[in-house]
Amino acid sequence: MRTLTEDQIEIGAVLPELSIDLTPTVVVSTALATMDFTPVHHDVEGARAQGSKDIFLNILTTMGLVERYVTDWTGPEAIIRRINVKLGVPAYAGDRLDFNGTVVTQDGPDYTVEVRGKVSLGDHATATVTFTLPSDETA
Amino acid sequence: MTDLDMSPGDELLELAEKQAALGEVRGGPAADPVNIPMIRHWLDAMGDANRSYLDKGVSPPAMAQVWTMPGVRRGVKDRSPVDDVLAALDAAGYTGVVATNCEQTYHRPARVGERLSAATRFSGLIGPKRTALGEGYFATWNVTWYGEGDAPVAEMMFRVLKFRPRRKSGTPAASTAPYPLRPAQNRDTAFFWEGVRQGELRIQSCADCGRLRHPPGPVCPSCRSTSRSYVVARGEGTVFSYVVHHHPPVPGRETPFVVAVVELPEGVRIVGNVVDCPPDAVGIGMELRATYRAMDDEVILPMWAPRES
Amino acid sequence: MSGTRAAIAGIGATEFSKDSGRSELRLAAEAVFAALDDAGLDPSDVDGMVTFTQDTNQEIAVAREIGAGELTFFSRVEYGGGAACGTVAHAAMAVATGMARTVVCYRAFNERSGRRFGQPDARLGGQPTSQGLEMSWHVPFGLMTPAAWVAMFARRYMHVHGATSEDFGRVAVAMRRHAATNPAAWFYQRPITLEEHQASRWIVEPLRLFDCCQESDGAVALVVTSVERARDLRRSPAVVTAAAQGSAEGQMMMTSYYRDDMSGLPEMSVVGRRLWEMSGLKPRDVRTAILYDHFTPFVLAQLEELGFCGRGEAPGFVRDGGIELGGRLPVNPHGGQLGEAYIHGMNGIAEAVRQIRGTSANQVPGVEHVLVTAGTGVPTSGLILSAG
Repeated sequence: MRTLTEDQIEIGAVLPELSIDLTPTVVVSTALATMDFTPVHHDVEGARAQGSKDIFLNILTTMGLVERYVTDWTGPEAIIRRINVKLGVPAYAGDRLDFNGTVVTQDGPDYTVEVRGKVSLGDHATATVTFTLPSDETA
Repeated sequence: MTDLDMSPGDELLELAEKQAALGEVRGGPAADPVNIPMIRHWLDAMGDANRSYLDKGVSPPAMAQVWTMPGVRRGVKDRSPVDDVLAALDAAGYTGVVATNCEQTYHRPARVGERLSAATRFSGLIGPKRTALGEGYFATWNVTWYGEGDAPVAEMMFRVLKFRPRRKSGTPAASTAPYPLRPAQNRDTAFFWEGVRQGELRIQSCADCGRLRHPPGPVCPSCRSTSRSYVVARGEGTVFSYVVHHHPPVPGRETPFVVAVVELPEGVRIVGNVVDCPPDAVGIGMELRATYRAMDDEVILPMWAPRES
Repeated sequence: MSGTRAAIAGIGATEFSKDSGRSELRLAAEAVFAALDDAGLDPSDVDGMVTFTQDTNQEIAVAREIGAGELTFFSRVEYGGGAACGTVAHAAMAVATGMARTVVCYRAFNERSGRRFGQPDARLGGQPTSQGLEMSWHVPFGLMTPAAWVAMFARRYMHVHGATSEDFGRVAVAMRRHAATNPAAWFYQRPITLEEHQASRWIVEPLRLFDCCQESDGAVALVVTSVERARDLRRSPAVVTAAAQGSAEGQMMMTSYYRDDMSGLPEMSVVGRRLWEMSGLKPRDVRTAILYDHFTPFVLAQLEELGFCGRGEAPGFVRDGGIELGGRLPVNPHGGQLGEAYIHGMNGIAEAVRQIRGTSANQVPGVEHVLVTAGTGVPTSGLILSAG
């Protein structure tokens, strides 16, 4: 898989969309892979007892999926510098998480992408992700 | 004109200040060093096909926090300065919790074999605030991950809202509750609000001399004409000045929120909220586009969002 | 200097507190009694009364309580704290025209324990009066507290002149320093540091808690009569050398965002120009000034509008300690509303009179003329009081 080069990135460019079906398996496997054992991420009864309608994605996973969404597009050599996420509605098991993104700024070597992750209830995550491309020698 | 005296919530704020004064409290080293099996497991669960992490033997940046997660049986010895504040909030009835912000900066990749440790600093408690979920406090803390040395690998700002859950009532709240800050209208201003309902930003123009004017009024101050018309603004503008409202709580609003004086290319200014962007991203000169928000079943307000290219 | 032929002959006040425990009418009566006693006059001498439109105590109610007889002049002044010096201006006109001989100006409220102006009031934009309609361009967006209205100007001032939150903070620090040595001040012996200002929480960015004045319960009254008569009374008179009200083009209540560059206070410029014209004085003739300080940024803007420094120079003026006791122009030696009490500017007029008399707790040496201003961000008013 190739990594984008400077001339392939334009401000305003739109990233290809990514849809993730949030099966219970996705919710539980990512919770465990991120070492988050809070019941609301794997125990339906426990989640309902706390007033949630089902188990839902944990934040460490949201961060991971946002990172993945951007590196899927940039290619493997891009270096993620910063991920700022504003969290919105929960992403429940059974829902679908749709990512879209736009390149919004370039500041020297830093590119910033605005990412929005939507579920049926609204925005689950609104993020800005800043990355740099590898320097020419290593590209 | 704001109160300087103590209020009941000051106890919580005092505790928060005390915890903040502790500064950075360093936790013990992670149970496991950065390792290939956990990275592979994480990539698999995320559906991330990026092989470079495994090839290079580095942790995916967003995995930073995973290395120092406490595990299933959380010990008491690793209590951070945050825990006491959250416990005090629980005790005060703010039992609900929802995370609002997670901001991570990655200074360098964590390499396989490195054992990370996390240092936590409680950085602030703000409240009580009226929110859509109920009255609550925003608690913010910062975590820095270190490798073997003293240079940070990654850091994170994390904010949660601890709220007092509303009692369940028969009808769903919020959406049908009338918005309390309704604009007064009369025959001189009704055209503006009618335009807003149709998704238009109408600027009064003098039917005789053409002068534009906002806010509108019954007489043209330039030529005394009472013949009025309007133009539909392009719906673009720039921030001329703005404020971030934190305190006191405002009915029908969640704090903090941004109000701006927006300068339109048509040559008039108008006041409105800047939405869809964090308050600290707003600045004078920021380019905006108009957007229309239903505040309840009747009231629609014109607002402003960052202009996207 | 011809002046207005009127003088302030008596001043009176209640204590300044957070909970007076008395009705607003009782506070008004107590302050009026104190002012009449100070002047050496009797309630039966009072034939005129002026207060703020916002005051909840009608002139006739105060007249009944103090046992005054017939009134031949009564008047109210509009626009919140902008009314303060206007009450004396109206009284001076009544005295000059012969409509009344002894006019009492008063302001009384339980602003802390009763209705608090700093709290949002959803009714502000509710009625289709001209003011309700004006508010309706702002209140629906949650822009509905005095701090928020002022913050919008403050942000623009920072942008245009490169001012910082610390520049605002120096005003608060100076006021609290003055209040610390004024036993009548709520913040007597409680100064703050610039660090404390910077650490205080946001109210409405860019304003912090310590940029906002306190809220107070209390009352102040002033007795205005002719200069000639005042000279025969108990206290040395504070002559009303100049008095003015001011509203500028495109004026609104706190939200004049649709005119000019939003970094100044054109209505205060109107007042200032009239005061200098009427008095024939210049800024350098004024040893101390009472500048309305409900929020710190407008103290800076006033220094510029009144000609005490050039446009954009106020942050430097303040940074050099210019507004502190011993500085180029000590401002609000009583501690202002930030430090003494928030009595809608009327306590500042009383301090100006003490400075003229030479009886202030923080007396500035050699005072002959004091400039006083009223509420900022609103149509406002001002006075120059002189010894004589």
